[in-house]
Amino acid sequence: MQPLRIALAQLAPRLGGLEENLARHRALLAEARTGGARLVVFPELGLTGYQLQDLAAEVAMRHDDPRLLRLAAETGGLSAVVSFVEEADDHRLFISAALLEDGDVQFVHRKLFLPTYGLFDERRFFAAGDKLRATGSNLGVRLGIGVCEDFWHMAVAETLALDGAEVLINVSSSPGRDLAAIHEVGLGTAASWRTLMRTYAQLTTCFVVFCNRVGTDETITFWGGSEVIGPSGDAIFTAPLFDEGLHFVDIELGDVRRQRIGLPLLRDERPELHLRELRRILAERTDMALDQASEAPAGRESPDRGEAPDRWAAQDDEAPPDRWAALGGQAAPDGRTGRDPNAIPNRWTVSGGNDAGR
Amino acid sequence: MTSDENADGNAEPDRLTPAAEPMFELPPELAIDTAVARRVMVGFIRNQLHQAGFERALVGLSGGIDSALVVYLVSEALGAEKLLCVLMPYRTSSAESVDHARLVTDELGCASEIVDISPMVDGYFGRDGELGAGGAAAREASQLRRGNVMARQRMSVLYDRSVLWGGLVVGTGNKTESLIGYTTLFGDSACAFNPIGDLYKSQVRQVAAAMGVPEEIIRKAPSADLWPGQTDEAEAGFTYPELDRLLFWMIDKRRTDEELVAMGFPVVAIERVKRLVAASEFKRQVPPVAKLGPRTTGVDYLYPRRRPGSARP
Repeated sequence: MQPLRIALAQLAPRLGGLEENLARHRALLAEARTGGARLVVFPELGLTGYQLQDLAAEVAMRHDDPRLLRLAAETGGLSAVVSFVEEADDHRLFISAALLEDGDVQFVHRKLFLPTYGLFDERRFFAAGDKLRATGSNLGVRLGIGVCEDFWHMAVAETLALDGAEVLINVSSSPGRDLAAIHEVGLGTAASWRTLMRTYAQLTTCFVVFCNRVGTDETITFWGGSEVIGPSGDAIFTAPLFDEGLHFVDIELGDVRRQRIGLPLLRDERPELHLRELRRILAERTDMALDQASEAPAGRESPDRGEAPDRWAAQDDEAPPDRWAALGGQAAPDGRTGRDPNAIPNRWTVSGGNDAGR
Repeated sequence: MTSDENADGNAEPDRLTPAAEPMFELPPELAIDTAVARRVMVGFIRNQLHQAGFERALVGLSGGIDSALVVYLVSEALGAEKLLCVLMPYRTSSAESVDHARLVTDELGCASEIVDISPMVDGYFGRDGELGAGGAAAREASQLRRGNVMARQRMSVLYDRSVLWGGLVVGTGNKTESLIGYTTLFGDSACAFNPIGDLYKSQVRQVAAAMGVPEEIIRKAPSADLWPGQTDEAEAGFTYPELDRLLFWMIDKRRTDEELVAMGFPVVAIERVKRLVAASEFKRQVPPVAKLGPRTTGVDYLYPRRRPGSARP
């Protein structure tokens, strides 16, 4: 199999400078294409900068914003992951990462976990996403996309891997802090992230692509150190700390199969066990009987105001645009006649298994 | 990088040259990777100026270690030619202070000028029995009041010179003095931005050594130089390594009083430092504004200081 060339765009966005950052993304896409890359990954909020506060509403774009589509139009032959402030139809603002392919926005992941502690104040300015799923891609492999803090919650990587992802992508704006000589590379944050990303790769037997920004927003300096880690947990590439750069990394997607045959951790996962115990734990937490504990029992959910009103939401008459079921030779569930099982908010309650087409 | 690490060696008990006295005492838990710290601070300085639309900076250079380190950092960030050092002695300031400031400006080759603040200060407090602008109420002023006025005169000169130089004022206060409130509000703490404000004094010394700040500046006893013979440590009743360690465990590592006592910190020191920190909270924050309208600056009107449109045209 031909290696997949990934380009990591470890850039320093201009805070609030949407047009400038769009232009920079376009230039880097062109450079990545010239360099032979097929996947280009940009950091969290690479199109807007991170420390936006009340500026967030001023740089927000809908997923069909012409400016975003103009950027998408330059992805012919490339898969690109870019991140921006997304404004939903109901005007909630999300920190989103979009997969751009074939000149269009193919998939959007909305950041699930918004840190609001320490130096972070994200929940004040943003809404949290509600959906976690892997997506198909033009690369012949399913991708699992998360944004920064999403990967500080164990279930995220596991869920994406169970959903068929073979490449986990984390886009980050990680503020460097906790300087101490005892830490690897002198930076507590870098040491933590390296441990986490290697561990996820090892336990999910996926590739992990970590793209972290550099530069300074106000008081915060982002440390870079973007990485690509193989399914065995070994780092294939580590970018320098603090420096801007477009870094090319070749990976052998066949490594996933080799790793999983030799170390079938994913085969041996017990999601039904996990689910059962989680339901028990939730029931105990809320003092409810086990059968009342699930938040939206199958068949009883009412139209969900909380569900994202975007085009990937549960619209019964429209198939989801991501080709999530196209792999493995199985037909995609028919969006016209059947409900997309992925769109059921609480799919675990349906069968406990992963019956999505993969 | 290599020079950093060599210089860092001085911070540790000296194994290579046992005869040499270490330049300073560095509590091990406060040791940082100076190359990383330097990188972050230099990038911060560049970013602050760039986003504000400035290319130049100026620093009030006292001859002490804090402002010397800031001058080294700014010089690395911008180049020495973009930096103006302003020396602002009072007539009772130690002559050594000016000598040490000169060591720095000569070494780096940056522009410098001396503004003697004595006439400004004496003009207010009076001198030799003559009343100044402050009248009789100023004549018998305590050293504290005099020190505060000196610090604010220096601020006033620095901000005036910033217009002439076309640059931003870079702050030189460290974390230790900020936390215990050993600063003059709107005086030495006034600045456009501060690259070293999150470094304890011990860490300032570590980075200063790594960057090649002259040894005599690192070794001398820190002083606000507000009156002859004044030293910070005599005034505070702590040594910096003791104080830094206590603040680090108390604030950064969130240890309770009981835990601090168990670690060996004296109860009186803990109580005194806690009081100093709490009593100086007001110096570390923007003055509160009474909430009246729908959107109030600093409360629910929250913008980055620097954003598109905020740079000087």
